[in-house]
Amino acid sequence: MTREETIICVGCPLGCEIKLILSDGDEVIEVGGNKCKEGKQYALEEFSNPVRTLTATVLTKDSSQPLLPVRTSKPILKTLLRQGMSIIAETTVKPPIKMDDVIVPNLLDTGVDVIATSDLRS
Amino acid sequence: MKLQDVDVAVIGAGPAGMAAAIKAKEAGAKNVVIMERAEQLGGLLHQCIHNGFGLLYFKEDLTGPEYAHRFIEKVMDTGIEPLLETMVIRISNDRAVSAVSKSGGYINFKPRSIVLAMGCRERTRGALNIPGSRPAGILTAGTAQRFVNVEGFIPGKKIVILGSGDIGMIMARRLTLEGAKVEAVVEILPYVGGLIRNEVQCVHDFHIPMYLKHTVAQIHGEERVEAVTMAQVDDNNCPIAGTERKIECDTLLLSVGLIPENELSLMAGVKLDPITGGAIVDETRQTSVVGIFAGGNVLHVHDLVDNVSSESELAGQSAASFAKEEKPLERGKIALKGGRNIRYVVPHTISGQKDVTLYMRVNHPEETVRIKVGDVMTKALRVVKPSEMLKIDLSTEELKRLGKETKQIIVDCEKREGR
Repeated sequence: MTREETIICVGCPLGCEIKLILSDGDEVIEVGGNKCKEGKQYALEEFSNPVRTLTATVLTKDSSQPLLPVRTSKPILKTLLRQGMSIIAETTVKPPIKMDDVIVPNLLDTGVDVIATSDLRS
Repeated sequence: MKLQDVDVAVIGAGPAGMAAAIKAKEAGAKNVVIMERAEQLGGLLHQCIHNGFGLLYFKEDLTGPEYAHRFIEKVMDTGIEPLLETMVIRISNDRAVSAVSKSGGYINFKPRSIVLAMGCRERTRGALNIPGSRPAGILTAGTAQRFVNVEGFIPGKKIVILGSGDIGMIMARRLTLEGAKVEAVVEILPYVGGLIRNEVQCVHDFHIPMYLKHTVAQIHGEERVEAVTMAQVDDNNCPIAGTERKIECDTLLLSVGLIPENELSLMAGVKLDPITGGAIVDETRQTSVVGIFAGGNVLHVHDLVDNVSSESELAGQSAASFAKEEKPLERGKIALKGGRNIRYVVPHTISGQKDVTLYMRVNHPEETVRIKVGDVMTKALRVVKPSEMLKIDLSTEELKRLGKETKQIIVDCEKREGR
């Protein structure tokens, strides 16, 4: 038995619906619907390793800014975004903080840190 | 710096204003000031905490605050004077600037040149005429963005978003991750208004229903929004009877377009293009008023901040050379006009003497096309969409093909053969 998965390419405004035919073991047998080589590459990568940069805010204490914006230092699996958020939601920081400072190390054991994307003054 | 010695005054310290001021300084303007009504430099970038900024300009994937940071550092390093919490209230056609600020009181001065970089604002409910009551809980996507990302408030728990612009889709993701339920993104057009990247990563990733060719036909609730009625629309964008569906929600976000903020420009007598809502400019970004330049979203609404920065650098550079020479820059005499499926072209006129980048938008999506700039050049494109601004570079070489007497170039988006 094979099954099909559709991935919309974000490489250009065309937004091709790329169809992947998958085997029982989820191996890609066939790729179709892409209108360029890069599209095929994108679909294969998005299928095997769909990653996103998570951006959010953490609460602050002792600062005139109520929030500090943060992001993951590298993209993480998109299936981990919500779990990552629950960790970020429990985090509170105090000034002084510099942009790029680590706010949550090794988020969910991904090896990726959550870092500040702005300075935090008191 | 004494205000009477100012060479270039930049109005607005968002991405456009900062890029213009830095470039003006680099191009040799001695005294450059940026006038900003907020308490810090950076403008809207501070609330755009998502990534996707800088891919063109820095070849890096940055968040809004990070993109702003790079420009803020440069503004501070280059000796530009920021006048914060300073609201410009009037510009005259001979470049007199009046402003008010807490620290400086009422300020009046006459810089040698001015760059308009006031950006744009969001269309509100008033622009849409949605019937129904006027409860709390109706706000623009950008206002919600400020609440969630800067102030630390969630505007509601069950949310409907009208319009599929980029800010709306980005807020759909952000609110979902913060625990709200986004019930629907409703778009009146048959296609999505924002970038494909945002459609996939903000809407599809979180299984948020997107309804194309639909609108919000009515808002319910007295004190607070309780529900909206969504309906399918016909080809004239009128709701179709019998397709109504009530969606319970406590918040309606509007992401229905941006308007360049040109009240000051109008006071100065700057002529506006009714289609872009921004000034009519030549390739130097000089407006119809001598010595007043414009760049960024105040000129025409961009979809990428990278292009805002690049365009505003042009305005800053021109403002610096105008301030130095104290004589009017020569205006481009060749008019550019949008033809088939081209909604607008910026700049409106060019000299034909130097390399120039044309920014343009189409009226409707089309596949397998070519952009034809008069007899000067053509560029084949797989697809064009109103949401994705087109950039076409014209070289001096190509412009040599223009006849001596050329007064106007029509830019067309033509169908072509091929796949």
